[in-house]
Amino acid sequence: MIKKLNDYRYIIPTSYKQGMRIEGLIYANDDLIRQIEKDQTKDQVANVATLPGLVGRSLAMPDAHQGYGFCIGGVAAADLEEGVVSAGGVGFDINCGVRLLASQFEEKDVRQKLEQLLNQLFRDIPCGTGRKGLLEVTQSELDNVLREGAQWAVKKKYGREEDIARIEDYGRIPDADPSLVSSRAKDRGHHQLGTLGSGNHFLEIQIVREVFEEEVAEKFGLHKDQVVVLIHSGSRGLGHQVCTDYLDIMQAGMRKYGISVIDRQLACVPITSKEGQDYLKAMAAAANFAFANRQMMTHWVREGFQRVVGNGNLNIVYDVCHNIAKNEEYEIDGTKKRVLVHRKGATRAFPKGHPVLPGELQDVGQPVLIPGSMGTCSYVLVGTEQAMKETFGSSCHGAGRAKSRTQAKKETTAEELLRDLKGKGILVKGQTRSGLTEEKPDAYKDVSQVVEVVHGAGIAKKVAKLVPIAVMKG
Amino acid sequence: MNSHYSILEHPADIGIEAHGKNLKEAFRHAAVALMSVIVDLSNVEARESREVELSSNDFEQLLVNWLAEVLYYYDGQHFVGKEFTIKRFSSYKLTATIKGEPFSDTKHRSKLDVKAITYHQIVVREDNQGGYVKVFVDI
Repeated sequence: MIKKLNDYRYIIPTSYKQGMRIEGLIYANDDLIRQIEKDQTKDQVANVATLPGLVGRSLAMPDAHQGYGFCIGGVAAADLEEGVVSAGGVGFDINCGVRLLASQFEEKDVRQKLEQLLNQLFRDIPCGTGRKGLLEVTQSELDNVLREGAQWAVKKKYGREEDIARIEDYGRIPDADPSLVSSRAKDRGHHQLGTLGSGNHFLEIQIVREVFEEEVAEKFGLHKDQVVVLIHSGSRGLGHQVCTDYLDIMQAGMRKYGISVIDRQLACVPITSKEGQDYLKAMAAAANFAFANRQMMTHWVREGFQRVVGNGNLNIVYDVCHNIAKNEEYEIDGTKKRVLVHRKGATRAFPKGHPVLPGELQDVGQPVLIPGSMGTCSYVLVGTEQAMKETFGSSCHGAGRAKSRTQAKKETTAEELLRDLKGKGILVKGQTRSGLTEEKPDAYKDVSQVVEVVHGAGIAKKVAKLVPIAVMKG
Repeated sequence: MNSHYSILEHPADIGIEAHGKNLKEAFRHAAVALMSVIVDLSNVEARESREVELSSNDFEQLLVNWLAEVLYYYDGQHFVGKEFTIKRFSSYKLTATIKGEPFSDTKHRSKLDVKAITYHQIVVREDNQGGYVKVFVDI
């Protein structure tokens, strides 16, 4: 039985399932826990708790829903000496993430040209199923992308020097080794650089509708009525194949190291093993691909704005990873310790004063970007000390899916959906009609409720609420 | 929809269920099901072929690797498989021919991007009813 600890926390005791080595903890209110209990999320949180060498608790954020092995919205930290790394604990879309750009415009400046602007972005940024990118990079150039991430893109004039400081890990995870990324992964990736993708990936032009923390918002470069652009995308086929390849390698590794798991999708190997180290270097390479990908799209967004409405500046507020494993330091039982934090559908949420943050964010904290479902709203939050104490510096990542794609499609036609969104003043452009209805807003949990739980629990604090005026979908 | 396979519900993703007179047939139908989720196969011509040879540690892994191979040909080589002939099929090994043609933006219609094949609730079964497989794909 799960136990309610307080208004925002539910504990899964180790007695819940045989083999649990640590407790589970789900962040939720009464309504969200009811939704979470409808699928296998809590069992998956418990399954993760059976993995060797984890520290603290197996965590699930309020947007958690059933995934593969790990739930989506899960966080688990492993001891660097005794613990394991799991490719499934990062997921197939390595460094799927979100980037927010702040323009100098207000809604009134773009309203008249909004359709033209959306069309321009739709033309300039490849999106949807099977779409190729605008450039094909050579094998050796792709290796540079994998090593250098967004820093490669800026070097190639896709962006500005100052962009780098506003990206998690400065847009480049060190130790990436392209030689550990298979040629198959490279085959899947080289033509997809600079593409948005399909599924839940999207680009939205939004307005800052409400500001909760004036001072913090100002330091992030945000103010009420401002036009902002949110990009949600990942490492495309390259990252998916890296995960596929290393799931296979880890299955063989488990036999070698005598590890058994409840669910094959939890395949893992010791962090100290060659297989574990190789995975982390390949994962870093895929993550860098995703950073470069979002950097290139940023450049095209800026160009599109320039062409249609003029120079909007479009500075990066921040760029966060949703699916990643990171070597980070935390105080655990009174001593400082480095651990490998798996975030699968969770966002890093570092507080002010954290040494990895750039100078301009030192006295305010890291922006935490929470995209809502298409056509609803998104949030900007800020990381807290509380997150360092209880969630390994992590927070939620979005709304979390509540309905299957088929169910969503059955309930609404594309025409109804477009009419509904238009009624709310939201323009939509998507490659396919089914893509739209599958991702319709009420196929997801209410992002505002998710954010209220995170805010109430203190693992991130609300800064601003954003609402869309134009949506581009794959 | 084909009587040899069906597409299943999952909150975030979708599953494939396939039958056949034996496991080999079920594997074949699962590949058709996978590609039918990704591309509208109605006007894909089986005019070129690609050869596949795989070995694994068990049938579940063989199924995942087989479908991952079919997905790779599409996503990495832009080759749309439509007809699948499994020539040799034994405990944890298979050789097969995939027939189809290169994807063309003007001729073909892509439906859905599949990221990967998973082990989530995977089933590979053969009994006197025939072969049966179930697998979820991440989209």
